[in-house]
Amino acid sequence: MTTTNLVLELRSVSKSYPGVKAVQNVDIALASSEVVGLVGKNGAGKSTLIKIMAGLVRPDSGQFFSVGANVELTNSDEASALGLAFVHQELSLVASMTVAENVFLGAGYPRGPLRLVDWAALRRQSDAALERLGVSINPKAITGGLSTAQQRMVMIARALVQDARILVLDEPTAALTAQETDHLFAVIESLRKDGVAILYVSHRLDEILDITDRTVVMRDGRVVDTRPTSEHDSASLVECITGEASAVESDTVHMRKESVASHDVVLSVANLSRHGVIHDVSFEVRAGEILGIAGLVGAGRTELVEAIFGVAQATSGTVSVHGTQIKLGSTKAAMNAGIVLLPEDRKRQGNIIEMDIAKNISMPNLPKLRAWSRLPFLSPSRETSAARSQMTLLKVKAGSPSVLVSQLSGGNQQKVLLGKWLLHGAEVFIFDEPTQGIDVQGRQDVYDVIGRLASEGKAVIFISSDFAELVGACHRAVVLVDGIVRGELEGEQLTERGILERCYQYAAG
Amino acid sequence: MSTGRRQSESVAYGAPTGDQERKAKGALVRKILKQYGLLIALIIVVIFFGLARPDTFLTMDTARALLSQSSAPAILAIGLTVPLILGDFDLSIGSMLGLGGATAVAMMSLYGTSWQVAVLVAFLIAILGGSIIGFFTSYLGSSSFVMTLAMATVLLGVEYLITGMTTLYSGIQPGYVALGQSTSLFGLNNQVWIALGVAAAAFILLEKTELGRNMYAVGGNQLAARFAGINVRRLRLTGFIIVACAAAFTGILLTAQAASSTPNAGVSYLLPAYAAVFLGSASFRPGQFNVIGTVVAVIFLGVVQTGLQMMQIQTAWILILQGVILIVAIQANRIERQG
Repeated sequence: MTTTNLVLELRSVSKSYPGVKAVQNVDIALASSEVVGLVGKNGAGKSTLIKIMAGLVRPDSGQFFSVGANVELTNSDEASALGLAFVHQELSLVASMTVAENVFLGAGYPRGPLRLVDWAALRRQSDAALERLGVSINPKAITGGLSTAQQRMVMIARALVQDARILVLDEPTAALTAQETDHLFAVIESLRKDGVAILYVSHRLDEILDITDRTVVMRDGRVVDTRPTSEHDSASLVECITGEASAVESDTVHMRKESVASHDVVLSVANLSRHGVIHDVSFEVRAGEILGIAGLVGAGRTELVEAIFGVAQATSGTVSVHGTQIKLGSTKAAMNAGIVLLPEDRKRQGNIIEMDIAKNISMPNLPKLRAWSRLPFLSPSRETSAARSQMTLLKVKAGSPSVLVSQLSGGNQQKVLLGKWLLHGAEVFIFDEPTQGIDVQGRQDVYDVIGRLASEGKAVIFISSDFAELVGACHRAVVLVDGIVRGELEGEQLTERGILERCYQYAAG
Repeated sequence: MSTGRRQSESVAYGAPTGDQERKAKGALVRKILKQYGLLIALIIVVIFFGLARPDTFLTMDTARALLSQSSAPAILAIGLTVPLILGDFDLSIGSMLGLGGATAVAMMSLYGTSWQVAVLVAFLIAILGGSIIGFFTSYLGSSSFVMTLAMATVLLGVEYLITGMTTLYSGIQPGYVALGQSTSLFGLNNQVWIALGVAAAAFILLEKTELGRNMYAVGGNQLAARFAGINVRRLRLTGFIIVACAAAFTGILLTAQAASSTPNAGVSYLLPAYAAVFLGSASFRPGQFNVIGTVVAVIFLGVVQTGLQMMQIQTAWILILQGVILIVAIQANRIERQG
């Protein structure tokens, strides 16, 4: 790499969210005809960095140079005007439109006479783009009906037709077959020859080793290592990604872990599958045990617990509480059996944010708060006092139970969610990313609740992308990779590094 | 935390406390205006028409007539409040109103049943219609907007099948007519008391029971309601059945009052019902559909119409004004939801 052909450069870019320094003083440069790999564990800051490049997130500080000129991005149009094209991790297509329409969405459709859309040319050109990727998808097909892999190909085709000088691919091979992946790599190779700069983000280390010229490793929001990929092997990459994990562990959480081996099994999940997302998952949780579910983003952790709680239909397998099988696909059945789930997305799934605290806390608890126990009438006074006691217990910072949840901070919204289910009570508590986006004090409060539940003999499932947190809090952890349980770690083995190695070992094929 | 910030600001800028008091008062006035704006508007229009037409408007006769005219539409609007709370549209209520009234009349007029059986059959048809809509929308996932629009056509066709597209006026039993015509307590029409009863029942259901609270939860965030173990589908189905029954009931009262059934009588009641519910959502529980708001809005719209007619304003202008009132109300509702 020489400095003369730099096409994009970020200098000391930083971005913080409440409680998290997502990106800290990052320098990254892309040169034409270069494929740069970007790796790092969950929450290392890769996604935030890409969003900054795409103009979707404004950095708190730092500079952005495009072909040597200092620019400031305020929206995604400006990024594409600079010749940047993105294939984001999430599927971002208009499901009701045809493939051809999606391929050219945003790039501008080819025009014929009278400046009307030339549909024949549109189909021809999108067909050509897809052919270049080695897939044959009917350009007239409705995008929503395609498989996930095909949709991803459409997204990549869209990036190709933009004639970008800089292409950013975020986990582009998720859901692709080996053959499709090979085709994609061939395309990347030919783009490189055409002088395109490529930033390739992936959890799959074999891919990084295969196709990148240089690898940038991020950890805790910083770039910790940059060197030519040829100097790396799989082990050295894992080394860089995990770093000295122990330093992080100590300042988050340390729970007293008493042996639960003699306790009864409360929850047992056997051979649970959900079409295309989780495969043949089995595990048990004992009374008083905190079981971590670890995995990289997209490994199927949320999909797994949604199937257990019945908000999603499992295709096969069983879930039992105290030895009694429950009906799958029914939230009611799961709740009656004593399972509750505190979902990951507090705003969309957890709370009704335009309702007040009291109404949110009471939502599944109305039968407990009746004015007369046999009649389904509300008792506003019992509702308010129940909410108030949960607010005191959980230290929710709000003036009164009638404050709208939308006016609370993320941490306090999480506490409202906790209060709702603590009041409800259960045998099995499933926490999906309970500390995400919460400040240090809020986190501590959440750990306290989880620890107390375990000491009361509840079975707890704890999902977190922060593996240090899992190591500190859990008795045991199962590692999920592409929807399959790839390891169960306990005692001495349960370290952040151990989890990461499992994740990458299998992700690397 | 927010109070702390306000204090530090006042220190920094040395704002006098009197200013804060005035601000607090302003906030209180705004709150009252928001919550009771519609009631205040109702009082203002009553005073206005009272001053403009003191001899005709401010009489007991006018009041009685106004209340009885508003009763049947109020029942329809109260029913419509339920699916709207759940986040569903129902555009078939006009046709269901027509079908309900026509069925009851046809049962007596063409099949010679007693009026009680006629009313029962009308309600059974409403339950069936509401169930079909609910099945397709909440269980099979059709959009309620399109589904109920299609259902409106189907129901109108069924009405024509039953009545042969003719006006029915023979064989209607006195007991049936009495539902809509006889007066009772305080010289008020039966319908007024029936509407009050329906309003009270709906108020208790929606504001005081678990079912009602769960309905508000579904409308507030379907996904969160599902994660809380609420049976979202069944509640949405229930909402469609409730509004269908309310529509059929309205049809029954209107045909009883007229002592006849005319083809396609329901369609003209559709939009006023929506107008009332949306207007009502701007008050009492600002930004949320609610029964009291709906009832006051029906009366408000009735007063405006009656008053303008007494002032001999052209129908054209009355329509324009009613439309403008609705536009203003929807804007107020939208701003409230965002704010």
